[in-house]
Amino acid sequence: MKFILSLALTVAISTTGFSQFKKKASNTLPKPKPSQQNKFLEKQWWLGFKAGTNFAQAKPIKSYTVMVPTKYAAGLNAKEYDSFSKTGSQATLEATFYYKGISFSVQPTYRHTRFTYFNQFRWYNTENSAETLELRYDQEQKIDYADFPLFIKYDILRDKLRPYVQVGIVYSMLINANKAVAISGTDYASGGTNQFANETLIVGAKDLYENYWGIAAGVGVDYNLGNVRLVLEGSYWKGMSNITNTKNRFGNDRLAGIGDVPDDLDLNNIIISAGVLFPMRFLSSNFKTLDR
Amino acid sequence: MRFIFILGLVLLFGCSNDSDPTADKASFTRIFDNNKFNATYYPIDIKQTPDGGYLILGGRRLLNSNFSGIYLLKVDEYGGFVSEVEVDEELVAPIGPLMLANGTYYFFCMTNVGLQTQLISVNADGTLVDQVAVGNSYPAAAALDGNNFLLQSYDHVDKESVISVVSTSGAVSSTKAFSIGAGDAVEEPIIAHFLQTGRKLPFLVGKSGSAYYFNGFYNYTLSLSFTNLVADEPQGIVQGQQDDGGISQAVPLDGGKFALARFNFGDNYFLPSATLNSSGISSSTDLGGHSLPELTANARVQILRTTINARKVVLYASDTRSKQIALLGYDEATGALVGSKYLGFSNPFEVASLTPTSDGGLIVCGTTYVAGRFTRICLFKLSQEEVTKAFKGF
Repeated sequence: MKFILSLALTVAISTTGFSQFKKKASNTLPKPKPSQQNKFLEKQWWLGFKAGTNFAQAKPIKSYTVMVPTKYAAGLNAKEYDSFSKTGSQATLEATFYYKGISFSVQPTYRHTRFTYFNQFRWYNTENSAETLELRYDQEQKIDYADFPLFIKYDILRDKLRPYVQVGIVYSMLINANKAVAISGTDYASGGTNQFANETLIVGAKDLYENYWGIAAGVGVDYNLGNVRLVLEGSYWKGMSNITNTKNRFGNDRLAGIGDVPDDLDLNNIIISAGVLFPMRFLSSNFKTLDR
Repeated sequence: MRFIFILGLVLLFGCSNDSDPTADKASFTRIFDNNKFNATYYPIDIKQTPDGGYLILGGRRLLNSNFSGIYLLKVDEYGGFVSEVEVDEELVAPIGPLMLANGTYYFFCMTNVGLQTQLISVNADGTLVDQVAVGNSYPAAAALDGNNFLLQSYDHVDKESVISVVSTSGAVSSTKAFSIGAGDAVEEPIIAHFLQTGRKLPFLVGKSGSAYYFNGFYNYTLSLSFTNLVADEPQGIVQGQQDDGGISQAVPLDGGKFALARFNFGDNYFLPSATLNSSGISSSTDLGGHSLPELTANARVQILRTTINARKVVLYASDTRSKQIALLGYDEATGALVGSKYLGFSNPFEVASLTPTSDGGLIVCGTTYVAGRFTRICLFKLSQEEVTKAFKGF
């Protein structure tokens, strides 16, 4: 799916680029005067493609559990989440309007993101240490979103190398989700120290999650290369609403049966992307567009 | 301006998915765990208490007795643990249901040494209130009858099934005993039932109109018998096949009909609207019914009369061979299937009890085996929406 989307976006960008060349090939505009050129350069449309990797952090708002301890502290079974350790990927189509150093940018993105957590259980007999069982549940969530970020960018420098900062808001629509649960443990009660790992359970989990929104901030740098602009940027997306479907939290019998239920979560991401932007307005017939 | 407008829209949509206490109460799954390796807890019955929480009567494994001990668990409306009571080992073999009379919950059990039936009263918060001796031995089944209780017990001295009407003070107002038949072989499965060394038998007692009925041993056979508690012989008998066949659950409906479940040499049959011969002798095998090969052999069955989406529904709950809890709903008027739902996966699950909740939902209490081995109590709370969707009819 990611590959198909990436391919489609690439084709779309390429097609757009070629159509510009075709149109301009028959264009015979007169060379503008310097003052006209400066005015022309005050605004520009950019269309481009970016792709990269992301790292997710799921931050519990409120914890939920199927397993309710009656004789021991609930904290012993508490879920422990990783933080920005699993890599995901994303592909972005960027459309940006530039005006006097400020840009407004919409960047629809297909994002595949991953995060993990684990919890552990231990049953034992204080009078017979051999009667002990330890279990560890490792849970990995893979969630695909269609993101719709809206950014405001400010170009710090306006040379060939153009560093910028950007802030914005993001609305993320859930496309798909699945979950893999690996159960491993040590059984001391079967006559020895029996370490085992069960086959990983993989289940569809789209019903457990919801759309969410967030805010974003980032830095990047543009580099004008020929008639195109290369982009490298990093952003932090902070989830501002719960990603979990609260009405369907216990809806997956396979997961509830083994004692798992999703917490209320904020999903934060570090997004790193690189790409290329194409100008949509040209200064002259030889496709010069900016202050090169 | 446009940016602010879009930001506002996003905030509006985004904030609609915050934590939802109503949803948290409406639907949940819980497993009550104890980290003792050799501990065993199983549920017998559940009742919703006036505070919205739940009171669970359960049994527990005793290391020094073959009988099961008594366990009471109080849970809040979210399924959260509130308190538990492991009743003294002097009292054993609790039976359901939890019966509500005059604001207090009651259940029967017996003494570990004298095997004398006791009536225990419990507050809604799960604390023991009182214990009175009833006198009979081996309590097998009970039911609420107005402000009195019906009790089926087994008299191991005279080898009789005894049906009694017991007041909340433990006084027996009327009683009748019926011989199970001579010889130790008849008694063997009954004792194995109590000692948990054999199959759990579907003992029942209840009242339909003015007639009392009990599912217990009479004349060598596990039979559903009708009695007026006056005559020495039952007025009507639906015979089983010794302990290999018979009625596994019976709930009286309107017009003298019954919602029945029966078993026969491992097979299971549901009869959502059966007419029984309450005078004379008949055989349970002649009743027919819907065959349920998906259920475990001689499955335990619970039947609940309830109303779902303005329709009277008879809800059957039982255990499947795939270790799930099966819920099958039938229209009470027509006997037609209106839907099904299966609960539990991964670990084994077995049903113990189910009851409607004040929010229009359903709570199902069962046994699960955590990590495939530790016997623990589980709860499935289904919202009104889930119940309506599952049993909306076809």
